[in-house]
Amino acid sequence: MSIRVTELTFMEQFAPRYGIPVPRHIEGTATRVELKKVLGEWGGRALVKPDVMAGKRAKAGSVVLVDNVADAIVQAKRIAGTEISGTMPRTAYLVEVIPAKFEMFSAITYNSSILGPSLTVSLKGGVDIEEVAEGDKTTIAVDIFKGLDAYQAGDLLSELGCERQYISSLSRTLVSFWDLFISTGMQTAEINPWRITPEGKPYACDFKATIDEANYKSRIPGVEFPDYPESISAFEEEMAAWSASSHQGQAHVSDLGGRRILPVLFGGGASTIITETLEVAGGDPMFLSDFGGNPPYERMLGTARICFDHKLAEAKLLLILGGKANNTFIDVTFQAIGDALISYVEEKGPLHLPVVVGRGGPRLVKGLLSLRQSLEYLKLPYVIFGPDTPVTLVAEYAARLADMLARKNEVIS
Amino acid sequence: MRAQTLSDLLKRGDRVAVSNITGREASKVSEESQKYCANIIGGWALGRSGDTIETSGGPIPVFATFDELMRMTPVERHPNKIIIYSPPPAVYGEVKEVVDHGRDCVETIFIITEHVSIEVTSKAYSIAREAGIDIIGCNTLGMINVHDQVRVGAVGGDAPHETFRPGSVSIISNSGNMVNTIASYLQAAGMGTAYGISTGKDVLILTPMKDLLMLAQKDPLTRIVVLYIEPGGVYEHEAIELLRQRHFSKPIIVYVAGKIAEKHHVSLGHAGAVVEGAHTSATAKMAEFDAYFGSRPFNPDKRYKKTQELRDSLQRGIRVVTLHHVPKAMRLLCDTLSIKRDMASAKFLRLNPWFVNLGELGKQIPQELDLAPGTIPEPYARQISEQEQSRLGIAMSRQSMRNASHASSNDGVTPRVYGHSLMELMTGHSFTASLILYWTGELPRDEFEEKLAEMSLIAALTNGPGTISAQGAKLSASAGNAPNTAMISTLSAMGTVHGGNGSDAVRFLLDIFGPLAIDDPYDARVDISETARKIADDFKKRKIAAQEASLEYRRIPCLGHPVFRNDPVNFDPREQVIHAYIRSRGRTNIFLEFYHALVHALKDNGTMNKVLAVNVDAALACIWLGICWKALREKRMTIQRAVDLPFVAFALGRAAGGAGEFLDHQDSGTDMDMRVPTGECRALTRPKTP
Repeated sequence: MSIRVTELTFMEQFAPRYGIPVPRHIEGTATRVELKKVLGEWGGRALVKPDVMAGKRAKAGSVVLVDNVADAIVQAKRIAGTEISGTMPRTAYLVEVIPAKFEMFSAITYNSSILGPSLTVSLKGGVDIEEVAEGDKTTIAVDIFKGLDAYQAGDLLSELGCERQYISSLSRTLVSFWDLFISTGMQTAEINPWRITPEGKPYACDFKATIDEANYKSRIPGVEFPDYPESISAFEEEMAAWSASSHQGQAHVSDLGGRRILPVLFGGGASTIITETLEVAGGDPMFLSDFGGNPPYERMLGTARICFDHKLAEAKLLLILGGKANNTFIDVTFQAIGDALISYVEEKGPLHLPVVVGRGGPRLVKGLLSLRQSLEYLKLPYVIFGPDTPVTLVAEYAARLADMLARKNEVIS
Repeated sequence: MRAQTLSDLLKRGDRVAVSNITGREASKVSEESQKYCANIIGGWALGRSGDTIETSGGPIPVFATFDELMRMTPVERHPNKIIIYSPPPAVYGEVKEVVDHGRDCVETIFIITEHVSIEVTSKAYSIAREAGIDIIGCNTLGMINVHDQVRVGAVGGDAPHETFRPGSVSIISNSGNMVNTIASYLQAAGMGTAYGISTGKDVLILTPMKDLLMLAQKDPLTRIVVLYIEPGGVYEHEAIELLRQRHFSKPIIVYVAGKIAEKHHVSLGHAGAVVEGAHTSATAKMAEFDAYFGSRPFNPDKRYKKTQELRDSLQRGIRVVTLHHVPKAMRLLCDTLSIKRDMASAKFLRLNPWFVNLGELGKQIPQELDLAPGTIPEPYARQISEQEQSRLGIAMSRQSMRNASHASSNDGVTPRVYGHSLMELMTGHSFTASLILYWTGELPRDEFEEKLAEMSLIAALTNGPGTISAQGAKLSASAGNAPNTAMISTLSAMGTVHGGNGSDAVRFLLDIFGPLAIDDPYDARVDISETARKIADDFKKRKIAAQEASLEYRRIPCLGHPVFRNDPVNFDPREQVIHAYIRSRGRTNIFLEFYHALVHALKDNGTMNKVLAVNVDAALACIWLGICWKALREKRMTIQRAVDLPFVAFALGRAAGGAGEFLDHQDSGTDMDMRVPTGECRALTRPKTP
């Protein structure tokens, strides 16, 4: 439920709107003539950076200083094509090098300690904030209604030992930073570093943020967030699109790379502990799933179909498991899963894998009987548990069964 | 925080008001809550003022707004607990309204809504704190006070009694579902629950762990606390600091989930994604709890020696690495610290499969994996037995059918009926066989069944021009209508008395034969005469009692006929042909035989003075119930479909008959010839004089 924002998007879409000074920049795909022109204007030097969804630490080796057009072109191409922490950059871009007297770190985030927004500032900018000593950084609460005012920011900077002549301009830019944060529905935002020129002008020289999609402000008129190449599988992508198509029921999956158990799991908490148990017990789960939320029949049918289409052919065991539901109708969800299984077999041929089921909740008996009927119809071996057997014990049993089957197949093959 | 102890968050006597109470989830949960504890005094939903939600615990009044609820509710019934079920964009407005109008009475707001923006969450917290109101949530499932038998939200689902037995353990969980699961597990250690609290699982948890633990410290009913923790936030880090400062006196059993997220670099379904330094990950939380307890996590295989060191560390608590270790860890804790169990007996946790059919696979796997079916506990065993044995038919799950059909399809090349190509049906099957497919989802099993269905359609064609359905067609023709209108007139002249009585017959037969284990209605050895006698005697009693009380009584459907009724033993000739055909094939339709036995039993016991005709509607009902029986038994068909089919068959046959009447009348009739001359009409009202 969040949109990540990179420096390039920040410089192009946000900084001008909120009066936050940023270095001049140009995309790496610019023509030789354009690059030559900007390098001339920027004092002959520029930094080439990747536009990628990765942290500062990951990007560190991919930021290169160039001082001529030929190098700029070569480096822009190289950086745009080099994977960083398993993710490809969207593009590369060049930014002006800002001479700095000192650097500053700033972050605004919702803080679980004060249950509201807070501003963290350090005058040791340019490194990850975790690496900054506690005494060199300060966090203050920001009133969610009143926002950050320049006096508050000024006091904070004084406390950190900021020289007087810089406090006024830095305070004003921190207020602009707050305005950006609160006006766009952000959840976290970090400008690190601010580079402050000897003349006292601050420039936001790197940026990252997440925008809370649940906040109506995230739909900012005139702002388009670019698509980034993401390392998500076709399965995750299809499920994410399906999940986003309706607010009814949950359909969240993350690939885990396993090859044994296809887990159709219900409930956030139960899904987590079941998957952890499967991992520990050798169940090698294919993905982490979190369904439930009382999906109507057609939602659950679609969700199950996506899981089966992507994973069932490879699975050694199908696990349908959840705790004792509070408000998810078991008959509706299990009827849908049974129907999705039948459709799968009708389209793709017979299945032979065992099915382990465990569930509790409203209309349980009807749901279990309906699923049992589907499994009998498909002649699939099954074991069905009720809510009196702990989900983690069911998960352990499924893992042992899958492990045994996988080993047996290995011996045969 | 306003609350000083856990019971301040929820106790008996609290008065609950629910926002958006007419919503899908809110109305369902409110109904179940009323059944459990009847603590909801009202709800509000825009545009629904004046409505009521009917529940077994009494009706819940619905108001347009919280303001209206406050104005229309007597002061002594003003709510002190609020549940917010409104959609995310409305949450802030609802909280603000509650704060504005309920500042004097409201103590706690539970926000159930998911996907509330973090900004709204923070703002809601800010205004509620200012007003001295506690908030649990957002995205909480609610809370239960087991000793007082009250809850807010859906904790415990539709059967809170089953999961929550009164006891001395309070459960605080980031996951709502885990509150239930842990409560079930506790029973395996002989422990019950005092309070179950779902904190909510968004980034901001508005009543954080440290506050809840301090309330638990002061709660006299809570002797032990069980925590279910997920990654995100510094809540546990702060709580542990406070536990140390305040010398928290109650043992804690904790399970920290979410290590898998770190290992695979994936985010959990739950939020908690804000990185706030070193204290927020699952690993960090585990380490902090272990350090506080001063022990390694619980190991079920270890033999713990009851040393002072163990007692000291267990007095603070212990962490479990998997949730089903909770009962064993609880037993160790209670035994070591001499804590008395809440319950004398405990249900040990074990694999207890309800249904097993591993088939051939069972022979290929080690014995310990080849499970045998266990014992299904009550009330499930009874429910299963009822559903399996006494109920016929399947209950279909509902869905939007706007652009979907099981019955037909067309992929742009082949129109199909239940998957069968229409072209293949045209060349390889009869119209009747295709109808059976369209109406039941399956082709007829044999020619006998197909022939019976065909006979039912022919029998329905006509009973002469005087029947009211034929009259419908003739009236329409006389008025100059088109053929389809005439056929509609035929159809519209049918109802439960004419044409539709077969549906009542199916219901009647299902009541009698549903509970009996009959696999094939054409080859059954049930004592029909005895059943018929019993039904006839029951009917006689009912009839006499009703007549004595001058009341109407429910007739047995499909007996007698306005035409075939004057002989000592009467027959409907159409039914006779069907009956004779079945007999001629050496078969027996148990339902039709029952009807014949019944008319004789009614004469024999003096209810009737002659043997009534078993009419054609009964025959149709018996034929179509015979066709549907196997699918009903195997729960592949709904009861309603079986009930409707005799009427559908009659309507189709008679509509065709109506077309015949129309064509004839159109050819030979004169315009308006169905007009009844005024002289033949009787005036039942005297002319009024001015």
